[in-house]
Amino acid sequence: MIKRFSVSLFFLFTLSCLLLTHVHAADVPAGKKLAKTPEAIEKGRVIYYKRCSFCHGLQGDGDGPVAYQLIPRPRDFTKGLYKFRSTGSGELPTDEDLFRVISRGLPGTAMQTFDSDKIKSGLTEEERWQVIYFIKTFSKDFDDPEFNPYKAVVNVSSEIKSSQAGIEKGKKIFQEMKCWECHGDGGRGNGPNSPRLKDKFRGDPILPFDLTKGWRYKGGNTTRDIYLRFNTGINGTPMPSFTDSLKDEERWDLANYVVSLQKREVNNNPVLSAKFVSGELPTDPDNTLWGSATSIDVLLAGQVIARPRWENPSVDLVTVKALYNAKEIVFLMEWGDRFKDTVHNPEKEYKVSDVYKGYVSWEDIPRDIGNFRDSIALQFPTAIPAGTKKPHFFRGESGNTVNLWVWKSDLEESGQPPVEEVNASSPGQPLKIQPPEGQQVKGKGVWKDGVWKVVIKRPLLTEDKNDIQFEKGKFIPLALNVWDGSNGEHNLLMSLSSWHYVILETTVPMSVYLYTFLGIAGLGLGEFWLVRRVRRSG
Amino acid sequence: MENRSKTDGFKLGRFWSTLITLCIIYLIIKWVIPFVSRWLTGLPFPLPVPGTLALFYIMLTIIALYVYISFSEERLEEFLTPIRRLLLGMYGSRTRTVVLAIIPLLFGWQIYSATVPKVSSPTSLRIQHPSSNFPKDMEALKNPLINPGDAEVDKFIEEVKGNNVQFIPEAMGEVEKVKGKYENILGFIPTESMQAFLKDMKTGNVSRDKARQALREKYLFEGKILYAMNCRPCHGDSTGGDGPMADGFRLRPINFTENGTIETIVEGYTFWRVSTGGRGLPQEATPWDSAMPVWKADIPEEYRWRIIMAEYELAQKTPRQPEKLAEGEGKK
Repeated sequence: MIKRFSVSLFFLFTLSCLLLTHVHAADVPAGKKLAKTPEAIEKGRVIYYKRCSFCHGLQGDGDGPVAYQLIPRPRDFTKGLYKFRSTGSGELPTDEDLFRVISRGLPGTAMQTFDSDKIKSGLTEEERWQVIYFIKTFSKDFDDPEFNPYKAVVNVSSEIKSSQAGIEKGKKIFQEMKCWECHGDGGRGNGPNSPRLKDKFRGDPILPFDLTKGWRYKGGNTTRDIYLRFNTGINGTPMPSFTDSLKDEERWDLANYVVSLQKREVNNNPVLSAKFVSGELPTDPDNTLWGSATSIDVLLAGQVIARPRWENPSVDLVTVKALYNAKEIVFLMEWGDRFKDTVHNPEKEYKVSDVYKGYVSWEDIPRDIGNFRDSIALQFPTAIPAGTKKPHFFRGESGNTVNLWVWKSDLEESGQPPVEEVNASSPGQPLKIQPPEGQQVKGKGVWKDGVWKVVIKRPLLTEDKNDIQFEKGKFIPLALNVWDGSNGEHNLLMSLSSWHYVILETTVPMSVYLYTFLGIAGLGLGEFWLVRRVRRSG
Repeated sequence: MENRSKTDGFKLGRFWSTLITLCIIYLIIKWVIPFVSRWLTGLPFPLPVPGTLALFYIMLTIIALYVYISFSEERLEEFLTPIRRLLLGMYGSRTRTVVLAIIPLLFGWQIYSATVPKVSSPTSLRIQHPSSNFPKDMEALKNPLINPGDAEVDKFIEEVKGNNVQFIPEAMGEVEKVKGKYENILGFIPTESMQAFLKDMKTGNVSRDKARQALREKYLFEGKILYAMNCRPCHGDSTGGDGPMADGFRLRPINFTENGTIETIVEGYTFWRVSTGGRGLPQEATPWDSAMPVWKADIPEEYRWRIIMAEYELAQKTPRQPEKLAEGEGKK
């Protein structure tokens, strides 16, 4: 019997291994590389026209009709300057490097996966090779045998597995090599040099990567991917190669350290449960009581629903916690933001034009420090929905309004009450601030090393009919709006989330304990009886 | 006991083999079936066995095992022996105490977790395509750009002859850049139908059909620009519902390449959805969760039709043809 089971288990194991390897092997060509022929290039020309030219431009100059609204901008293929390669610093990419980027895309940018195994209307392997051969015609460098990228492929040694000692060494190297000057002490991309960096493509502003965002690594987030970046550098950016300055083993250590900084698990649960606390609620983000609260990660998108549409938001994830006691409820929001922006100049705000011409260009708004404040808003329906019907998650509609608590860093900085209670009945209307007597929300925000932590507290129940009232055990819709001032965000230029829910955890009713007790006691007695019976008969 | 250990060191008693069988059946229901379902359906998520069905399977297994064991006196005796021995304390009284304590506790834990109030996401039914509440006059609406009339085609031919074809302003930046590179301004469109048409134009041998095809190519070029500017951030380069903004919306942008999306609806319906957006949906389609913009507020009608052309082309789908009967029935 055992033998048969072990055989079937073995089969299952093999099957699962096969499936797993199948899933992971998408960005390496599965078939044979297509030969580079004039016909292949001509086919590539048509594919390029149909699928790539709208961003990268008919001329390959990275300046298609969509380019103006994107940062980072689409790659200019005429320069022969490519970021993600397996070749030395300053070298051209191999065809396989281009294949990889086209196949898996660049997370956090407008370049998406074109792998037809992932997206039905993507490109087949053959089509990907064809378009690669065409793209290479934009730069003469590819024809020059002197620049042959295959001669410049970097050496990749066998991976040194992550260990505590290795990570410690990596951390030391991070300090000594001054990685923190750009990437910041905690790897949040907020080092002292970070505001001033420019790329070599058009001299556009470029921010050092926030290494904690495990889901946004453009060249891949594994130890090997990161080690490869240290070997190759990232052409066109201030990120150098470290082949000359670090030993091979040190590059692995540093890569393992970088991986240790990543947030890899995203808890995208739609329901936030607020735990009950019998005593006072925390008013400070670093209060130890927060350790007992459960958290959810709220994902956000750029506000692309109404004018002005914005596809370059900086905040894409906020971690939220909540606690309540007999009288009040308190929320803690935590998100990465490179710079602390605490001033606001209303005169610099973007004027939305009457004629729609498309999304807002990042070049049309002041995106440097010192123009706009950082801010976050919690949004609830004005009343808990009776049925499934809710206000629209983007600021509600007339007759079905929303209640927002807007925390503003400039108010916090100048010592005023930092949270405003407002109502909205459509995205088109300005927010309606409640009168001073209606303002019952208190808050506190602390910025440290590239992270904002904001606490917002309110009584569970108020007298105001424009306020949400918190009842235990009910699903209360909750959404977020977030603004990063130094990314030029203000008004409707922001990140926003869909509806999530917060529920005030109810205490366990006595009946549950009673049933449990009865169950245990009943079974215990049964056992007792059984033992006695067996003894007698035995 | 002594006898058994002598005969076969690996042979399991009836009691343990029964228990292991039960465990394996449970594991199959809990993990293997969902895993295989994912592999069979090709869906990105497993299909778990519904709770009542799982219970049913387990009950059946228990009954089958019971029948098997109680079939002969010998087997039953073999099954019951370890239990009896345990109860008599033959494996040591400590073992007996532990086992007898664990069983009621496990039972209590089950009761507790079954009755304790749980937090789970409220589910609301959502009807993707509200067929009843959709304006009926949209059903018969046709994309005017797919089959341009003869007058329009003739006008286009004249424009091509004079090399002064007009484009939407959004395309002008690109067109200006490549203008000088081609004999005719349309030369930058490398598709077969366009190149064949331009060749014919040169020889003066123009057919309206080919010109119509070429005009469609021009609209498609403009439509793809408008799609890439306005729709791509959510619906993605390849219309896979995977644009850079997609992860931020709990109700994900629709993946047009999936079967059962834009190919199952008529063009008029697509036009209505693009025009009135999420907010224009009836209640059963939960308009409050939809991020779809109300595009009629921002994009003129003839642009919206261009976008729809591009959308179908990129998804490699064709719209459902309106049923002829629908018109007559509507009038009754």
